Amino acid sequence: MATLKIHNLGQIKEANLTFGDLTVLVGPQATGKSIALQLLKLMVDAGQVQEEMGRYGLDWEHKLPDFLDVYFGEGMRSIWQEGSTSIEWEGKAVDLQQVAKRKRPNKEESLFFIPAQRVLALRDGWPRPFTDYTPGDPFAVREFSEKLRVLVEQEFGASGDLFPQERRLKREFRDLLQRHVFSNFHLKVDKFRSQKRLVLGTGEKDSLPYMVWSAGQREFVPLLLGFYWLMPPTKVSTRGHIRWVVLEELEMGLHPRAIAVVLLLVFELMKRGYRVCLSTHSPQVLDAVWALKHLRENNATAEALLNIFEATNTQAMQELATTVMKKTVNVFYFNRETGLTSDISDLDPSAEEDGQAGWGGLSEFSGRANKAVARIVANTDQPCATETDKSDKAVTPAVANTAPELPL
Amino acid sequence: MPGLGALRAQDRPHVVAQNTRLLQGSANVDSALQKQEPNAHRWDFAIAYRHTNRRNDCIYWVEMHTAIDKEVKVVLDKLRWLRNWLTGGGKLLNQFERDFIWASSGATSFTLTSPQVKQFAQLGLQHKGRVLHIPNKRPS
Repeated sequence: MATLKIHNLGQIKEANLTFGDLTVLVGPQATGKSIALQLLKLMVDAGQVQEEMGRYGLDWEHKLPDFLDVYFGEGMRSIWQEGSTSIEWEGKAVDLQQVAKRKRPNKEESLFFIPAQRVLALRDGWPRPFTDYTPGDPFAVREFSEKLRVLVEQEFGASGDLFPQERRLKREFRDLLQRHVFSNFHLKVDKFRSQKRLVLGTGEKDSLPYMVWSAGQREFVPLLLGFYWLMPPTKVSTRGHIRWVVLEELEMGLHPRAIAVVLLLVFELMKRGYRVCLSTHSPQVLDAVWALKHLRENNATAEALLNIFEATNTQAMQELATTVMKKTVNVFYFNRETGLTSDISDLDPSAEEDGQAGWGGLSEFSGRANKAVARIVANTDQPCATETDKSDKAVTPAVANTAPELPL
Repeated sequence: MPGLGALRAQDRPHVVAQNTRLLQGSANVDSALQKQEPNAHRWDFAIAYRHTNRRNDCIYWVEMHTAIDKEVKVVLDKLRWLRNWLTGGGKLLNQFERDFIWASSGATSFTLTSPQVKQFAQLGLQHKGRVLHIPNKRPS
């Protein structure tokens, strides 16, 4: 299993991550989840990252602070603490100073990153090229955007229709997306004053341009294009040499029914052999992981998993569910107070440790709401909740001194 | 009985009081009322605690039970019995501030976001993990 150890990088005091077939990172805002995921990309694809940045004229002059600003984004040089930060990838120490100084051999890219800021990838309904961003914008966003631009121009240029598309995604996924995400809309390319753009169409003539899309539609379309990129319309199940997929906050702008469909698409990625890493603030994602764990431990059928997602029980979906139930899943909690990560893969709601029982904070609010309601309902039918006797002495319920009539 | 003495030995680890000196006593409700109500779904325990921010004791009515789906009806029947008993034979104890707690004695199939747990809350029942922690100060 691949492991990443981080010591004193940004908000992260200590992180020991072991990557399964699916790895989920949870924790409050600004606890270093995104830093950890972008660092993973750097560990896996340092040469490709350097090559790509160099291709677009970025020159950090072999200086680590400048490299960090260019890669993680402006101002991010401060995450590195001279003499204190250390990184270990797959058991070997990594010197980021050397990564910044020396050009790494450029292997084929093996990690595809879908960033949380993916909504920025489209401007006026068209994917932005790498060079449309400023040098201070994170590399992950710029590269994702560029990949979408190339995808749309090269693979959808001739045909106007992006969704639904028979050659893209299994029919079962198309049906679910139509039902829970797109409704009556289809995604297509059209032209406005000779400028190509993505629009949502409701019929032959009606088209809704990007600026009138809902927030959810704007969040979802770049995600859909990311899935298209990863699932090429060929007999080959994966794109190029990509072996890893990072998907930040898949739930953004989406209704829980749409989140369920995206989770199924994540399962499809896993079935195809991709190793997937998610960061999330959605309890639903952990509900799915928790269910997967218990279904696997109890030798449940594929149908049991598919029922959770209201997915049709076709042969293709059964194969998907059967495969996914054999995969390993790890969950890590990034604790804001301590700066430490902990393995909460058990997701045991009865655990003593709050991070595990509360699923890294994702079910804490529910827990407090449940407790508040239960407490008030428990105490509503009593005649006097906190009455004291006239002598102003506190009242004890004689539990320690039981009388025959009052067995307590 | 004093402290947690009324709890069975295997159940005592499931209750942790922040200050054991504030424990006012405990009772095994199930065995105490076995003769009077042999056929009832009797609740397990009662634990009295003097929180530092309360003038009177609070009673934690605790049921130790496996927290799985097929046991829900059993526990809710017990709760119903308990609440009825508190308005009848146990009405002296009905005046005390309280929590009704379902502590998991084994497997747990409910998460904090489960609809079942919300259903319990609406009936006044808190579903806890394996350990009930009783703090010095009781939240308002």
